[in-house]
Amino acid sequence: MDCYTPDRVSCPQLDLEHIQRTMIATLKFNYEPSEHEAEKASNSYVMSLIAIMGGLPLPIINLIATFVFYLGNRRGTYFVRWHCTQALLSQFVLLPFNSAGFWWTISIIFTPEKISSHYIAYLFTITIFNLAEFIGTIYSAIITRKGRHVEWWVIGGITNLICKA
Amino acid sequence: MKKILTELVITVSVILVVWFGLSQVDWMRLLKIEKSNQNTEEKIGDLFWKMLKNSEQEITSESVVGTIDSMLTRICTSNMIDRNKIKLHLLRKDEINAFALPNNHLVVYSGLIAACNNESELCGVMAHELVHIEKNHVMNKLIKEIGLSVLISMSTGNGQAETIKSVIKQLSSSAYDRKLETEADLTAVDYLIKAGIDPEPFANFIYRLSDESKNLPHQIYWINTHPESKERAEKMIEHIKESGYIKTIAKDTTRFPRLKERVKESL
Repeated sequence: MDCYTPDRVSCPQLDLEHIQRTMIATLKFNYEPSEHEAEKASNSYVMSLIAIMGGLPLPIINLIATFVFYLGNRRGTYFVRWHCTQALLSQFVLLPFNSAGFWWTISIIFTPEKISSHYIAYLFTITIFNLAEFIGTIYSAIITRKGRHVEWWVIGGITNLICKA
Repeated sequence: MKKILTELVITVSVILVVWFGLSQVDWMRLLKIEKSNQNTEEKIGDLFWKMLKNSEQEITSESVVGTIDSMLTRICTSNMIDRNKIKLHLLRKDEINAFALPNNHLVVYSGLIAACNNESELCGVMAHELVHIEKNHVMNKLIKEIGLSVLISMSTGNGQAETIKSVIKQLSSSAYDRKLETEADLTAVDYLIKAGIDPEPFANFIYRLSDESKNLPHQIYWINTHPESKERAEKMIEHIKESGYIKTIAKDTTRFPRLKERVKESL
């Protein structure tokens, strides 16, 4: 059960299906999660998806929703906890960028700040990365529902540090 | 831990690089945002002026308009401002007021001309309003106070006459925030100095009217709507001293009294 250490290479229990140095790596968990666990783990991603749709344009809403789901499952099995944590952390990466975009927009509406090419470029940038995160979340929800394990770029490593078996 | 930090730095860097890359595109031109904003301002400004013109009487006397026009031209040309874009209008009204409307409309009431003691005072007020135009304070104020969506709706002909009237009243009878007013005062002083017009009478005019406004509170709109008038005048005097302006004697001292006479005759 100790296999989720940051140094996965030295962990003999972890049977990697394929380690791709891509944004999301699909790995095999050290035990076979039950159907119920897979459903709960998948729900953590579904929860953040629903919150993204419901919470726009306020970037904090999806974070709160995922956090509430995390609190509800923090005493769950390792597989569920791990994915709830990853789903929660995934919200943090883009939060500062989304918040900056939100307040920039507010300042344009309510202060003499003007729309500029930098602002439009910023909106496009955060849209691209939010879209990537959105697709990643859908992918993670599907894969974890099948009982398989996915680790995100950056987030997976942090989750391994936080979430111990 | 090192791997996580590296990944994090790479992620943030990629986001910043994408932003920087996309910033190289002139989105304002590509999405025609500037043109659209300009169109809205043009339509709003012309709509406001049309409404104002219908409710007030415009002074068209060549001798009056020509004199004030030459003062404005002097300020504009000395400060590299395109004179042709400024639409000067004189209205017959005893209120001591002047204000800027969107799309570079500058409205001066006859009451203001009558209240000025010399040309420099009137030039000061016009320079002040010119700064509001040049720094785009007018549209910013409107967007901030009534919202862009309402303005766009007005520009497309969906605004009700009463709403438009109340917006015009808001523009003509309320001040910009203190920061913008100070900016307009101090830049107006710079405009006057560059045009070779003594800025001190303008500061004195504000000081004088703030005293007089106690007796005639409803007529002196331009001062009543500009708070802390004495403090403003002091700031301007300080700015004049700092700029090292050397006072010169006015060349034509008879032009302004003649203008006042003609305005009085036209009332």
